[in-house]
Amino acid sequence: MTQPARLRIKGGTVYDPANGVDGVVRDVCIEGDRIVADVPASAPRLDARGMVVMPGGVDIHAHIAGSSVNHARRLLPEEHAVDPVPAPRLDDGAVARSGTGGTLPSTFATGYRYAGLGYTTVMEAAVAPLAARHAHAELDDTPIIDAGCFVLLGNDDYLLRQLAAGEAARARDYVAWLLGTTRGYAIKIVNPGGVAVWKGGGARRNVSGLDDTLGSSAVTPRKILEALAGAANQLQLPHPVHLHCNNLGQPGNSATTLESMKALSGQRAHFTHLQFHSYGGAPGKGWASAAREVIEYVNAHAEVSVDVGQVMFGAATTVTADSPVEHLLYASSGRKWVNVDIELESGCGIVPYSYKEKAAVAALQWGVGLELFLLANDPWRVVLSTDHPNGGTFLSYPELIRLLMDRGYRDDRLKAVNQKLLAGSALLDGLAREYTLGEIAIVTRAGPARLLGLQGKGHLGPGADADVTIYANDADRAKMFGTPRYVIKAGTLVVEEGQLRRAPTGRRLAVRPEYDAAVTTDVKRFFDQYACVAFENYGAAPVT
Amino acid sequence: MSDRTVANVACLGCGCTCDDITVVVKHDHIAEARNTCALGAAWFGDGSVPAETRVNARSASLEQALTEAARLLNGAGHPLVYLAGDISCETQREGVAIADRLHAAVDSLAATAATAVLAAQRRGRAGATLGEIRQHADLVVFWGVDPSGRYPRYGSRYAVEPRGVAAPQGRKSRTLIAVDVGEYRGPADTDGRLVIAPADEVDSLEMMRAAVQGRAAGAGARFQAAIDLARRMTAARYVAIIADGEPDPAPPDPARAEALVTLAQALNGPTRCALSTLRAGGNRSGADAVLTWQTGFPFAVDFARGYPSYGPQAGAAALLGGGELDVALIIGTPATLPTPVAAGLARVQSVVIGPRASAATFQPAVTVDTGLAGIHEGGTAFRMDDVPLPLRPALDAPHGALVTVRALRERLRT
Repeated sequence: MTQPARLRIKGGTVYDPANGVDGVVRDVCIEGDRIVADVPASAPRLDARGMVVMPGGVDIHAHIAGSSVNHARRLLPEEHAVDPVPAPRLDDGAVARSGTGGTLPSTFATGYRYAGLGYTTVMEAAVAPLAARHAHAELDDTPIIDAGCFVLLGNDDYLLRQLAAGEAARARDYVAWLLGTTRGYAIKIVNPGGVAVWKGGGARRNVSGLDDTLGSSAVTPRKILEALAGAANQLQLPHPVHLHCNNLGQPGNSATTLESMKALSGQRAHFTHLQFHSYGGAPGKGWASAAREVIEYVNAHAEVSVDVGQVMFGAATTVTADSPVEHLLYASSGRKWVNVDIELESGCGIVPYSYKEKAAVAALQWGVGLELFLLANDPWRVVLSTDHPNGGTFLSYPELIRLLMDRGYRDDRLKAVNQKLLAGSALLDGLAREYTLGEIAIVTRAGPARLLGLQGKGHLGPGADADVTIYANDADRAKMFGTPRYVIKAGTLVVEEGQLRRAPTGRRLAVRPEYDAAVTTDVKRFFDQYACVAFENYGAAPVT
Repeated sequence: MSDRTVANVACLGCGCTCDDITVVVKHDHIAEARNTCALGAAWFGDGSVPAETRVNARSASLEQALTEAARLLNGAGHPLVYLAGDISCETQREGVAIADRLHAAVDSLAATAATAVLAAQRRGRAGATLGEIRQHADLVVFWGVDPSGRYPRYGSRYAVEPRGVAAPQGRKSRTLIAVDVGEYRGPADTDGRLVIAPADEVDSLEMMRAAVQGRAAGAGARFQAAIDLARRMTAARYVAIIADGEPDPAPPDPARAEALVTLAQALNGPTRCALSTLRAGGNRSGADAVLTWQTGFPFAVDFARGYPSYGPQAGAAALLGGGELDVALIIGTPATLPTPVAAGLARVQSVVIGPRASAATFQPAVTVDTGLAGIHEGGTAFRMDDVPLPLRPALDAPHGALVTVRALRERLRT
């Protein structure tokens, strides 16, 4: 098929939850790069009868581009060697690129594989401002998908100084300036204060809770949360603060997670990879699920949103700005380990990992994620992620969808995992819930798009971006969601009959909030005193 | 063009990529490059570069040169693309795209640090950006390297002199230790010095790691000084170990690089430690980063199978030496090529697009002189610690490297 400027997707069963459409047979019409109400009868048609039509997938949290991701790629030549990605054959004589896969695919392979799963928007969840230019360069080489960057701020030296000095307005102006200069989309917090403590050296390795102090009593994880959540809301950013809580991966960390939620009570905030923060038990005394307690809080508080960060069995790579946690994982796993302290801003830690069904903690983590999904009352606020590639890669999303939609399959899998730590898990009580296609459409596209404030994404109403995925309605939901028949990105048919046919350039999603320009004078003074790059060379303004 | 002054210019003279250079242009030449070291001053020079385009040693138009270059590359059985010095990441990206399209081998100056890169692939890294060493290090150990030679401003900008958040007195807030290993000597002006026989180097690093991990037992007098240093490191708040990623000549024992990594990692048990691996200039760290993100591998990649394969023992020098390549495309300054690569290029037909291409000594079939990234051409370069920096050209160039390489790519078979 040549590339039509207009297209009628004819007769598919449409799931467009943002517009209240739940499995209705109807046409979806495209003109240019937008959804429109109708096109002339003469417009080209794509026969979607018997197929399922949804908006393009939206990944709210993944690690796909930038300095830390590239460190991880460099660390894993053995993965790339066994997962070659030859260049796809594109239509119209376009030249595609080859690459390699593994848990951290090369940039071109990342774009092709996301599109091949029907995902058309992905948020890169951890960009150090100093390396923002690098992240954008990689995204320039990541085809098809639209992408945005979450900018790391929870351990930023200049920001913490403003909190210590009680300069709340200046802190907010700094955040706004930084988001603009790095071409960022949202504020990311990773282990607030903990990374700064780790980088500071000496006996202290991390913070342990919300009220540990950092130098000044005015600077605590709680104060960092309050300042940055407040800034996101006052600046009216499309996405609220995106928070990776303290004590990730530690038994008993649900107390910290709940305390963090309460600290931001009444404010919009997004708690990411909640599974990694929903453990009971206590350090040195064992693990248990605390999913029920955590999700009950989420259910009762409409201002809170989360993505799950499901663990999937198989290969993964833990890559995070939470560098003290990675040191613990290195010490306990004995695997190879990367740590990079990033001047004045953040950290980076990487350990390759594998989740095994027979390992008790991995089975617990798998179970906790499923509990969160299955006990969630509002799919709009509890959306799908694996924290790619931390809990598993994005290629495992179809398998995760099957676990959510198919109780028989899920129960079979449950029998195969190590049960040692699952006592008390709601999973063992026989959770009967099966996600519907409409709910899957919410947790994989409509919900994340709404939480991100992406008004043109995640729905099929007139004016929306023409990002559409069409699946064969297969009873095997993993197969169905793993191999969409058609994917349309900004009006371009990128996947046809299950084959990648076109690879257009994606768009960058960025915000540019307003701020009092006086802040830059103070920031420049700070740069002159401490930084190792010129203030004028910082950020990610395009270069010629 | 009018006289002008350009501030905050990044220098690619070495991997420090100092971005505080002010370039003063008068009469279309660089009259002054302020803040540069001797290496940097030589790198900027007066900014003049040859502007010739040649086919078979005769002057030609750019059109003729690109046509002949495309003819050679399209007809190649197994070509090589080599990313040499002084080109931007944007140009490197085009170069890798050409290699992908031609099913070529691709390598770069990043291979000069192969031993350190391979050690990091086996064990990982305990590292920091250079500015973090400045902020936090209270004990700086120069392991067989004096940066003042090949990385002249490393001390003044990053590890020795400047004040940092936790080093308010600058030099006085830091203890410096030199470790001399045979001919590889640390700096002269340090607070302590340890001398290790080259044959004992790797054993010493292992003994130190054992001491850090609290498992040293009966090492004997031969390693006592090294173990004492390890204890001193353990007692510090934040240790920086400085080592050369491209020691010249290469040290006899490749296990040295891995032993440095594992010592630095072990020190993060009782305290904090970063290993800073020094790398030279020309934006070779950018080539490492670009090749990694486009292929998954940092150097010595071959697209012969239609996708990237990694052959760390089969890089450009080995393939050329083995007679496995028939045509080469060199992008960048040919004078930056490692000696074995330049020698191997004398045996194949080659195309050179880059600064001073016409000065190549291996008799290329096609040369197109371009400007240097950072002097005549903008774009992005990476510091030795992977920090990306924008380039601020002060001069115009005869041909831009990026546009020329892109024009060549558009002439290649699909």
